[in-house]
Amino acid sequence: MSTSSSSPSSDEELIFNPNPIPKPIDDELTLASLTLTESNGNGSVGESDRYGGAGVVLEAEREGEREGPSSPSSSGYAGERGSSSEGTSNSRIGDEDDDGIQEVINDHDGFVDGVGDSSPSASWVPGKRHVDEDDASISWRKRKKHFFILSHSGKPIYSRYGDEHKLAGFSATLQAIISFVENGKDRIKLVRAGKHQVVFLIKGPIYLVCISCTEEPYESLRGQLELLYGQMILILTKSINRCFEKNPKFDMTPLLGGTDVVFSSLIHSFNWNPATFLHAYTCLPLAYATRQAAGAVLQDVADSGVLFALLMCKCKVVSLVGAQKASLHPDDMLLLSNFVMSSESFRTSESFSPICLPRYNPTAFLYAYVHYFDADTYLMLLTTSSDAFYHLKDCRVCFILIQRNNNLAFDVTNKGSSCVATVVRYHSCFQPLDPANTTVQLWIQWLVATVVLLRSNVLSEVQRSMLEGGMRVEDLPVDPLPRSSMPHRLSQQRILTQSPEIFSESIVGIGGPTGLWHFIYRSIYLDQYVSSDFSPPISSPQQQKRLYRAYQKLYCSMHDKGIGPHKTQFRRDENYVLLCWVTQDFELYAAFDPLADKAVAIKTCNRVCQWVKDVENEIFLQGASPFSW
Amino acid sequence: MGLASASTATDGMQLCIFDLRRGQNEGQELDKILFFFPADLPFSTQLSVIGLSEGLITFTRIFSPEAACEIIEAERHSHVFYEAETDIWMVMVVEKGKDSDAIWRIDALRKVLKEVHSLFVMFYGSIRAMLEKDPSGGLIRSHLYPFIMDYLSDFPVGKKLQLPSFRDCLKERGTVQMLTMGREAAIEVQSLVSVLDSCAGNSSCYSMILFHDLLVSTTLSPDDTINLFTYAVLRLSPNALSSGVNSWSYIRRGSTSSHFVSGSALTHSGPVSEQIYHSSDTSPVGNNINRVTRALQHGKWYKGKDGFLVTDIWGVDVGSLVCATPTVWLQQTEEAMYLCPYQFKSLTLILLIPVSSILNGEQGVALVKQQLLENASLKILKVEEKLSKGWGGENAYHVSGYRYLLVDGDRNISRASPPGKVTTLAKESLLALSKLRDEVDLEKSRAKRDNAGCEKDLEVSIRAKNNAWAIARITGGKELYMVLEKASETLLYASDAVEKFSNRYCNGAFSLD
Repeated sequence: MSTSSSSPSSDEELIFNPNPIPKPIDDELTLASLTLTESNGNGSVGESDRYGGAGVVLEAEREGEREGPSSPSSSGYAGERGSSSEGTSNSRIGDEDDDGIQEVINDHDGFVDGVGDSSPSASWVPGKRHVDEDDASISWRKRKKHFFILSHSGKPIYSRYGDEHKLAGFSATLQAIISFVENGKDRIKLVRAGKHQVVFLIKGPIYLVCISCTEEPYESLRGQLELLYGQMILILTKSINRCFEKNPKFDMTPLLGGTDVVFSSLIHSFNWNPATFLHAYTCLPLAYATRQAAGAVLQDVADSGVLFALLMCKCKVVSLVGAQKASLHPDDMLLLSNFVMSSESFRTSESFSPICLPRYNPTAFLYAYVHYFDADTYLMLLTTSSDAFYHLKDCRVCFILIQRNNNLAFDVTNKGSSCVATVVRYHSCFQPLDPANTTVQLWIQWLVATVVLLRSNVLSEVQRSMLEGGMRVEDLPVDPLPRSSMPHRLSQQRILTQSPEIFSESIVGIGGPTGLWHFIYRSIYLDQYVSSDFSPPISSPQQQKRLYRAYQKLYCSMHDKGIGPHKTQFRRDENYVLLCWVTQDFELYAAFDPLADKAVAIKTCNRVCQWVKDVENEIFLQGASPFSW
Repeated sequence: MGLASASTATDGMQLCIFDLRRGQNEGQELDKILFFFPADLPFSTQLSVIGLSEGLITFTRIFSPEAACEIIEAERHSHVFYEAETDIWMVMVVEKGKDSDAIWRIDALRKVLKEVHSLFVMFYGSIRAMLEKDPSGGLIRSHLYPFIMDYLSDFPVGKKLQLPSFRDCLKERGTVQMLTMGREAAIEVQSLVSVLDSCAGNSSCYSMILFHDLLVSTTLSPDDTINLFTYAVLRLSPNALSSGVNSWSYIRRGSTSSHFVSGSALTHSGPVSEQIYHSSDTSPVGNNINRVTRALQHGKWYKGKDGFLVTDIWGVDVGSLVCATPTVWLQQTEEAMYLCPYQFKSLTLILLIPVSSILNGEQGVALVKQQLLENASLKILKVEEKLSKGWGGENAYHVSGYRYLLVDGDRNISRASPPGKVTTLAKESLLALSKLRDEVDLEKSRAKRDNAGCEKDLEVSIRAKNNAWAIARITGGKELYMVLEKASETLLYASDAVEKFSNRYCNGAFSLD
């Protein structure tokens, strides 16, 4: 927990920081105000106008997110097509309100889609929906999954659907229920009524409630509330509690202004991202050498004082490196990548933002630098140094300069001290920078990493991998015996199966051999999972979501708090045969045709495990040595 | 004995019945409460339990108008809801984790509520009807209190209420357990049944025959069968009559326990209960107008010289000293029936005679009884003999290597490993199955909601941490639950074991073609 020492986070900061949402640093206003705030020297982030206006940052999210349906395992935002409703016509009804200093900006992402959470037709669009609704609306009552955050005094903080202000009465009811039970020296967890479940999570002065008729198990919904809370902590840190200690009626909504997209995108990910219940992360499949190369670049950066360095592609990790003894929890990675991906400002330019990693240290801010290389691939550097934060302005200028005079910059092939020197020399003629300053070194390392990555084949490999996808059940090696003679490298397999169109055509509708439809393999030791790409017959987003929920249920059943984890589970219903196998090293979740033969399914699972082992160097980040998992 | 002992014995459990239509005005909230256990809880506490329940019923209807609150799970308590009649709710609050056995299967608890209500209705008619008869609520309260207290007295172990926990996961309340018999015996039974049904002349009688605690035959509707069977096993069967002998019934724990609440139930020493439950004294000859029959009172049935079971629960005619014959309501025909149980050795016959068909009261009943003895005695002897011959004893339905529960949901029948055998299972195994049953219960209720009529088909095999297999199979309205504890069994071995069991004992109902 090395961060706490350097963190300037305090409740004052929270109070005065109206919008912790990242802001592009090439915004002139920002630079100007940064300069202003810098002068107070004590590291306090944040006069209220520092960012010019809250909410601006987040507005233009949707373009980039309107993707066609794709595999949830391979793309970030596939899936809620399965959940957003009959209305494809996402007409925009909210008016743009960029004034983040005023209370919640809940209108700026108002989209209408139909009632319900079921039609796969509409592609998912982040942001708040149905702001015109409140608890009196029939349509609001019929929504399949509500999420609420409220304060212990009953003030609404966030609602997935509807206008928080109009929901004040409803929010007060929730608060009343919670405190009623608390008065009886107990704590409410769940209410069940027919299809509906009301799940409560109490986190100090913050109450989280989910009302759902999605039939997900209680444990899953509770886990989702935990993540929602974590996302809030990521934005504000836990020191928000102190605000409530001082003033129980404290209104938190201004602090979260404009973050609707972050929450809605997280809630959306509950529908497609296995990381939300597996508590593991997944890697983009890459050749071992490529990932090593990326890791080496990150390691250089890490050595210069960065706490964590992550290169990610959507929600998949390309490589990550952490300072000694610092470990990054998969949930933190999930929340972080959700935060970055759902905030448009990160995409448009290099950005920085104070963030908190709730599992790492819920009370302190870290500082995140984010740089997108392309639409999906981005580099994140997390540092505890608030100085770095304030020197960004200088660094930014430096970077612009380098970009403009790329040929003058430095020779990145000779990275290391010599190129650092080059940069500093170049830079020093512009503005005196002390090369001994750790921040400067950090920044330079960052630059070096950027350029190295840009010039190496890592990024092109990442793009290639994105296109090619991951493991496919159709590619499951049929006979495990001649493995030695025929290497089942993921990439080679793919070439074999992909090029002749006829081959892949022939297996449409059958899934993999022996009725295998899909699998998820989680390496317990690595905290990573790999999920096969969806292929027919699990092709529609709706089917994918259904399977995903079935896995979720299976996971909860296997990991019962009291008596779990169980060792094996076989489950057959009208939709699937599901097999789960938990060992000390791994967990395997596999879905088969409901008519699949038990013996054959077991054999197939063994083959899947072998296959994963054979290609583990490509699908997992191996030997992340600096981690103390 | 008194209220104090009742509350110490039962802390951790609360049970209440309230009517949402009553006490709507401020200051009249107490009017809602029809029953509360323990009765000596301060009214403020009682009202807070009911207030929370009512609040959540209203709240959940916002989202789920068709099915309101079923359960509240809090960290320390579970609140189980059951809407017994429209707007009449029963809520049971149980404490969790108080001791290692306090792990509940919610559905099993709800079935307790359902059972006590069904039994109540069988004896007294619906709660609503009684409320309409006496809108002050005094009548229903004075009936509910002793009835439920007597019912609860069947759940004790030592001084504590022992509600169905995970250890009872291989039992199914609300089902009957059948005796398997040979063809010959079946023919004898059939002939006896036809005699029984016609012994009151032209009026249609119903009959039920039990051997030990197992059902041999019934001519009642399924719901009425369950209620009467439950009552018979609780109070009429040889096991229930003979005190000191432990019942081995599938569902009941020792029904011959210390009557820990029954004593205190009616000694209304406290002003609290006096106020609400102004029921009568317990004197059997107390012939006052308010007299409440305690249908579930313990130790009140005796075997008469003629073999008929008699009780003074329903009063005694002061002049003739003849006990009044109990009456019950049949759900299906909505008819009042005289209840005439007859016992010969392990055989219990229950004859139900329509009250309307007997014009001269007890005399008429006595006549029918006499007729029965004349016409059926021989047949009864024969049936008893045949059944005793084929009787395999307490462990008749034990299948070695298996611990199972078989439920036929369509016919409300269940069969299970004998309780004595189930207790040999490890706690982990029972917990695993209990949790699995929780999951299956949810799946079943979902399937019921989503596609009524379409049968759920499900097969789950879980290998728990202790290597035991917990298995559930649902197909065609039948359910099979099983624990296999032999170590180092593979999934295929476990499936094979289920297959064998299914073929041998379930006519292949759970076999995969």
